[in-house]
Amino acid sequence: MKVYVGMSGGVDSSLAAALLVEQGYDVTGVYMKNWTRDLPGMQCPWAEDLADAKRVAVRLNIPFKVFDFQDEYKHLVVDYMIREYSAGRTPNPDIMCNQEVKFKLFLDAALADGADVIATGHYARVQDGYLLKAADSNKDQTYFLYRVTESALQKTLFPIGAFSSKNEVRAEAEKRQLTTAAKRDSQGICFVGSVGIREFLSQFVETKPGPIVERETGKTLGQHDGAIFYTFGQRHGLNIGGGLPYYVVGKDMAKNEVYVSTNLNDSHFWISEVALTDVHWINNQPDIGKTYQIRVRHRAPLVGAELIDNNTVKIEKAERAIAAGQSIVFYDGETVLGGGIVRS
Amino acid sequence: MIYLDYAAATPLDPRVLKAQEPYLTDQFFNPSASYLAAQNVRANYEAARHNLAQVIGARPAEVIITAGATESINLALNGVSGKILTTDIEHASVLSLAKVRDGVVIPVDAKGRINLSVLESSITDEVELISIGYANSEIGTVQSIKEIASIVVHVRERRKSMGIDRPLLFHTDASQAAGYLDINTARLGVDLMTLNAGKCYGPKQVGLLYVRAGIQLRPLVYGGGQEMGLRSGTENVAGAIGFARALELAEKKRKAETVRLSELRDDLEAFVANEFTDVVINGHKKHRLPNVLNISIPELDGERAVFALDQAGVMVATGSACAANKGTRSHVLMAIGLAPEVADGSLRISLGRLTTQSEIAELKPILAEVIRTQLKFGAAHA
Repeated sequence: MKVYVGMSGGVDSSLAAALLVEQGYDVTGVYMKNWTRDLPGMQCPWAEDLADAKRVAVRLNIPFKVFDFQDEYKHLVVDYMIREYSAGRTPNPDIMCNQEVKFKLFLDAALADGADVIATGHYARVQDGYLLKAADSNKDQTYFLYRVTESALQKTLFPIGAFSSKNEVRAEAEKRQLTTAAKRDSQGICFVGSVGIREFLSQFVETKPGPIVERETGKTLGQHDGAIFYTFGQRHGLNIGGGLPYYVVGKDMAKNEVYVSTNLNDSHFWISEVALTDVHWINNQPDIGKTYQIRVRHRAPLVGAELIDNNTVKIEKAERAIAAGQSIVFYDGETVLGGGIVRS
Repeated sequence: MIYLDYAAATPLDPRVLKAQEPYLTDQFFNPSASYLAAQNVRANYEAARHNLAQVIGARPAEVIITAGATESINLALNGVSGKILTTDIEHASVLSLAKVRDGVVIPVDAKGRINLSVLESSITDEVELISIGYANSEIGTVQSIKEIASIVVHVRERRKSMGIDRPLLFHTDASQAAGYLDINTARLGVDLMTLNAGKCYGPKQVGLLYVRAGIQLRPLVYGGGQEMGLRSGTENVAGAIGFARALELAEKKRKAETVRLSELRDDLEAFVANEFTDVVINGHKKHRLPNVLNISIPELDGERAVFALDQAGVMVATGSACAANKGTRSHVLMAIGLAPEVADGSLRISLGRLTTQSEIAELKPILAEVIRTQLKFGAAHA
């Protein structure tokens, strides 16, 4: 069986490739060259990552290829992200990257090149087209994978999904003398290196200062440097001093106004019913009215919730600051059902 | 572990480190200070300059100590206002300066040598500085510096007779030549010459620019007026002293090392040619550094071979479009007309002072096996 494994130059995908070789697969390593841009003072470390991935491929004595998805990635992930932020939402580029690039473009290109299946270094498990949580609940990455299709999962392997911890993955990589064994985890947005989203967006979107308005009084408390930079629920970086901490409870992109409150009980803040858009169920649509678990962000604790119709979730206990654009992912025990994107 | 990347970096000679040590510890004084201890440091710094000058057949006042070859090249090329003329196989610092200054870049032949008549006809009246590397760091090709210098003299005389005021200077980057070729500035006839301590068993970030007496360059670093006002900043005393010691040692060993290493290199070259009949030997057969062997094996992914050799304990370089080169191929291999797939199968093996016959004997089977294994994976896809 011929496997194309996506190798990012990190320890997870390095070990994934090594395990597949040991399991007797005919393995080819592939580095996906995504869109990157060197911003002033920061460089995306793609060249080092590519070299690291290739070094491991040479160690494993497997073929290594570079798939160039730069244009597609820019179009499908980066532009999407900029568009969503500009509309005042909080998108998740990793989810989009998995949906559009890794489990669509990469899968198709690998199959066209002769692969039978693909593999990645994600912490997740797959069984007969079902997506299951990783054995390590701390590292579980299924939140980012809920938009992958059943047919893609049927052609996907997650060799490290059964490992119980990152330390175990590092130890196994070390044992195999993989040069990436001790490499530190990547930080920040992958395509711009270790840069904050703020710096990144300011390169692409023109921003204007505007008022920070207290929700209750309508009083202007200070100035912000662009409503795009503020996310629902955010506490820090408001530059308004004194007294109780202020939280962002809303914004108006058209007026370029950011609304804040010190009242954690503000009704805008706690949300128990959420309208979803772009709903995607991996295998079957969950039952309306049945209680499942959901997660509103990566690594957030699971909470009980039910679908009251095809596009509306009712959460058992109100959740703080669910921002438009972020994803809600449904779980039934170990199985990831799918989910949707929070509507504005 | 077999290190064969001396053209990239040379280890610090222990005798150099020993010479430097006092100036990294108790003799830390600023040479510009007035107390006696500082004046002693000044005297030793100037003695180092004197020794450097002696090795290159210059006067001490003609030696500007810099923070390495790149800085020396910047001082030389940015020191004049007129047009720069250079070749397409030069070091990145020369080529990038030529680019921003709208310079003239002439081609080399398939062996990396300049055609002297092309050079002569390219020296238009606007050209003020010619910069040509003595020996190329990638393929080892050596240029005829003396002959170029006589062309320069000839053009200068012609300009004089025609009443053209523009001076014409000849700079050579001799960083790779030190320790193997004659670097006597008087014999070479150059006006400016760059050397790099880090390539001749001295410390990194130390170099020099020879500036023939009478040449007025624009300063590179402004400040307290050190280094004849061309390169201000408190002197790197330990660096200069280490450099002087390193260059003396390199010069002393020069002839014997040239013979010894060219024999080892030729032996390795014959082995490779015998094992891989389609190998391309890059660079000039005769006019070549004794310690450089640059080979191209068609259909080999040079970067894979470098990684595999590394994993087998052998350190060499490649000019392939590898990640280390940010995906761009060696401009030198492109300039000598190699097809991309041939350039991507290149390996540069550069020998040095610690290279022994037994090391080369040990290398041979490893090299042959790695190349054979990696050939199975085919050419690079970059």
